[in-house]
Amino acid sequence: MSKPVLVIGGGIAGIQAALDLADQGIQVYLVEKSPSIGGRMAQLDKTFPTLDCASCILTPKMVSVARHNNIKLLTYSEVIEVSGRAGDFNVKILKKPRYVEEENCIGCGECVAKCPSRVPDEFNLKMSNRKAIYFPFPQAVPLKATIDKEHCLFFTKGVCRVCERFCPTKAINFEQQPKTIELNVAAIIIATGYDLIDPSLAPLYGYGKYQNVYTSLEFERLVSSTGPTNGEIIRRSDGKHPKSIAFIQCVCSRDVKINPNCSAFCCMASVKEAILAKEHLGDVDCTIFYMDLRAFGKGYQEFYKRAMEEFNIKFIKAKPAKIEEKPETKNLLITYEEQVTGVKRVLEVDMVVLAVGVKPVYPEAISLEKNEDGWVKLRNPYLDPVSTSIEGVYIIGVAAGAKDIPDSVTQAGAAAVKASILAWGGG
Amino acid sequence: MEQPRIGVYICHCGVNIAGTVNVREVVEYAKNLPNVVEAKDYVFMCSAPGQEIIREDIKKCQLNRVVVAACSPTMHEHTFRTVLAEAGLNPYLLEMANIREHCSWVHTDKVAATEKAKKLVEIAVAKASTLEPLEEIEFKVNENLLIVGGGVAGMTAALDSARRGFRVYLVEKKPILGGNTARLGRLAGTDMRGVDVAGSMIEYVKRNGMITTLTNTELVSVDGSVGNFKVTLLKKPTYVNEKCTKCGECVKVCPVEVPNEYEFGLTKRKAIYLPSPASYASTYVIDGENCTKCGECVKICPVNAINLEEESERIEIYVGAVIAACGYDPYEPSVGEYGYGLSNKVITLFQLNRLLDPEGPTNGELKIDGFVPRSIAFIMCVGSLNTTPNSYPYCSRMCCSSTLKDILLLKEKYPNIDVYVIYKDMRTYGRDEQLYLTACEKFVKFARFREAPKVSVTGESLEVTFFEETLGEEISIPVDLVVLAVGMKPPKDVEKIRTILKVGCGPEGFLKEAHLKLRPVEAVTDGVYLAGAVTGPKNVVESITSGSAAASKAVGLLCREKVRIEPTIASIREELCSGCGICVSVCPYGAIIIQIKENTRSAKVEPALCKGCGVCAASCPSGAAQQLKYKDIQLKAQILAATYKR
Amino acid sequence: MKYPPNFLVIKVMCSGRVDPQFILEAFRRGADGVMVAGCHPGDCHYIEGNYKTLRRMTLLKRMLREFGIEEERFRLEWISASEAEKFVRVANEMYEKIKALGPLRIEEV
Repeated sequence: MSKPVLVIGGGIAGIQAALDLADQGIQVYLVEKSPSIGGRMAQLDKTFPTLDCASCILTPKMVSVARHNNIKLLTYSEVIEVSGRAGDFNVKILKKPRYVEEENCIGCGECVAKCPSRVPDEFNLKMSNRKAIYFPFPQAVPLKATIDKEHCLFFTKGVCRVCERFCPTKAINFEQQPKTIELNVAAIIIATGYDLIDPSLAPLYGYGKYQNVYTSLEFERLVSSTGPTNGEIIRRSDGKHPKSIAFIQCVCSRDVKINPNCSAFCCMASVKEAILAKEHLGDVDCTIFYMDLRAFGKGYQEFYKRAMEEFNIKFIKAKPAKIEEKPETKNLLITYEEQVTGVKRVLEVDMVVLAVGVKPVYPEAISLEKNEDGWVKLRNPYLDPVSTSIEGVYIIGVAAGAKDIPDSVTQAGAAAVKASILAWGGG
Repeated sequence: MEQPRIGVYICHCGVNIAGTVNVREVVEYAKNLPNVVEAKDYVFMCSAPGQEIIREDIKKCQLNRVVVAACSPTMHEHTFRTVLAEAGLNPYLLEMANIREHCSWVHTDKVAATEKAKKLVEIAVAKASTLEPLEEIEFKVNENLLIVGGGVAGMTAALDSARRGFRVYLVEKKPILGGNTARLGRLAGTDMRGVDVAGSMIEYVKRNGMITTLTNTELVSVDGSVGNFKVTLLKKPTYVNEKCTKCGECVKVCPVEVPNEYEFGLTKRKAIYLPSPASYASTYVIDGENCTKCGECVKICPVNAINLEEESERIEIYVGAVIAACGYDPYEPSVGEYGYGLSNKVITLFQLNRLLDPEGPTNGELKIDGFVPRSIAFIMCVGSLNTTPNSYPYCSRMCCSSTLKDILLLKEKYPNIDVYVIYKDMRTYGRDEQLYLTACEKFVKFARFREAPKVSVTGESLEVTFFEETLGEEISIPVDLVVLAVGMKPPKDVEKIRTILKVGCGPEGFLKEAHLKLRPVEAVTDGVYLAGAVTGPKNVVESITSGSAAASKAVGLLCREKVRIEPTIASIREELCSGCGICVSVCPYGAIIIQIKENTRSAKVEPALCKGCGVCAASCPSGAAQQLKYKDIQLKAQILAATYKR
Repeated sequence: MKYPPNFLVIKVMCSGRVDPQFILEAFRRGADGVMVAGCHPGDCHYIEGNYKTLRRMTLLKRMLREFGIEEERFRLEWISASEAEKFVRVANEMYEKIKALGPLRIEEV
């Protein structure tokens, strides 16, 4: 009989690792800190270079995870303690209270409709609101309501409880307690993904100051049919469609002061976003300001060429010095230096999207050895490419280094087979 | 047969379909089609709520057939079949209409696209009315694994699978394992050299009793299907046996000299040679293609280890899964391309890497014609990005980082060499960006070309001329050495391999994965997996990782006791069959035999061998031979629906 | 990559499944054109199915000519799964040719 494996993080990498292991007959515990699995990929509209719809290829995998007999899904949960060694890890997991009984909740959404509160929706990068009781997105897995204690009127002010009154299955339980789950597993796979670096670290680009400056993730939500504007690309300032959009690459990346590394996928993400803008708006001028257009993966160069030739997207090799706002129109003025002539130019656009660099997220309960730049140190990148400094603890996806979806999925498979060897007492 | 009660489900696919096709109109149209009792739409039919709608309706509306109009069946036919099964319906009572790849994605006229979507749904509904329940056929899975290719990706896959407890046959066409990585010197971010990494793995492979290594062996054929492959191999002779003491006397007398592929042609070797200087080559071998069979080596060998009469051996093995890990070939510039082949001062990055290796042909001294070059120009994207007529259109991914890594090694040893990097885009992605930073700090000069630079060779000197993008003018740089950062191309026998394994390839020639994003190490053919650079350029770490990922998938298959085959196989109605035997003669798999029962001849299909092509059905003069789910009446119903004017 | 929406697709596992009677049936029922697309000879996923297709369709083309159905209305094409551009090109070409010929008034043929 094999021992179970723990996967921390329910994004595409964690999902794939869990499925690979479960398909081998190995018991998997998939822990995800937010109420639903799906991770960053669920926030994307289409993926490069195939322009596949992200949800279309992700949601069936999410459903497979939910249905798989060998996967125990622990969402709204966090790993709080890890001890032991490879083949024999003792793990403590805190299952945070949703204040909704999962067995009873049928995902009907009555509670959400009745809840009076308004909370900035983190899934939509706070560009719209959700309720205090909510589903992160309509295709969430598991589709169980969650009460955000910090914004719920009952928990903060002692009033309301409307959701409880209207729930048809009496699933609301304000008395629900956090649960501690103790497990013994053979191996741990970390797939905790990333956050964007705070774009205010590059203040000259005006993020947070100028309404029509967005981060790449915000733009992804704008373009998504499940996003804050139902897929309409409209400006924060006036709700109008932009006639021109500029994408600025390498914001908070390739910068010795903030982050010396390259975030690998932003060049392609911006090319894709520009193409989507063209598809949605038709008549829109898209310009990408880049340092090096890193179209290095399979199909990428062809995608880049398509963007230039088929979609007429302009590429300007320059790192803009600053972005300013025109107060009357809230348009943006981008100051940059023309490569060849050295002449300073200013481009006026309706909207700016900053391709912000990424930083990894790591589970606090495990003390991983890290490099100087804050990224995890791998045991032996050649002979053991997905192992951390701790034997039996593997790391995959962007948490292991900025990478795209195919590479994350490949790493997930690699960690799965390594973990499976430990699960069967080998290694 | 019962009266069909069809439920039609139209997916919006976000805006992928709904942005072009008026989904609501299609739903209304569907409601009026024969046998349709319910029609609905939803934003993502494949998601949990979407699947729930179908499951609910099957019970509520007593549906006995389901049509889903959405993306390609390759995406979600399996998903929706599972939904039917869970709701108690036979999964083969599902029919899909592709209104995305075949409609919304390829048509711009929204009105016309909507009309076509309606027709596609009508065709699917007509087929659905004719569907019958089918039972999947189960076969036992053979627990062995075949890995084609003994480079680092193949060896990694072999080690992971063997450690998981499965028997592995590791087949390598060269006389030793190690592949391209074994020819590499120092790698990025480590003190290890490629030959050390490969060497470590070879040691582990040798020691693992579950791995049977067959070197100098080629793949001849693969028959069967997922879970049960019959593989024929040809083990070619090396003509030298284990008695060889590696004394090297034979080399002295061999009259044949050819370029040494281990040193990328920088040196020559004989037809009898040690396949690599690394310790893991246990004997000398004879290169059968170039050997003249003169016999001098036989005479001189002190231990009688050479037998020129040795024959090839045909080996047959049975496996459940196959991993193709056939690697890549470095791009070889043609003579004259950037001056390559016209001067020994124009070399490739791979050759430079050998020169810098302390165990290389010059013991690690970078000397050309006895002198250390004072200036070197690295020309990037050679063979990639369509820079020259022979080039491939894609980016070879690893060359920017590899080049900078070698430059930094070079600068360590020779800090005063002037280094120019003439490039298009500097693609040192991820943490490799730090190589670029360091190179700049070491005063490496970077210049951007617009068109492929021209290298002129005049006597002893070289000059590189190109239009520099930042300066906006044409410049000429005289240098002592030009290094071409060559890319990766598909291995030369990729056509042969992919035909044998029935794997597709992309337009550039690399093997095609089942899905670029979510199934990067699987081939479309069930039971065949892909590892390493054979699917596209990768660096050593990425190849090794993909080897493990392919092992993960293969192990997932081999763990299962049984595998189920799609039941869309041939079926013969004996009462209509005259025993003419035409089907027997046309079947590519020999899956049909003639049986004699009570003095009548009739044909019979062997389900284990039938792959469901339908050729017999199209050949049968009486219509006795049919293909399940693609019977004549079913296809004709679709043709009728397609041409019917409502 | 776009092509005209006049093409309706009927899926079979191999072009070798296509019985010439299907093509005749399609024309009889009012199709203005019929295309059979399969893997390239030598690349058949089922080894030799497409060789059978080639033989049958060659014979069928002669028959169609006898019926007075113009050659351009029936096409046998070898298009692999990775040759989207070829499919689009062929579809566009076929559409133009058949548009020029006009509808096949089968009752008059």
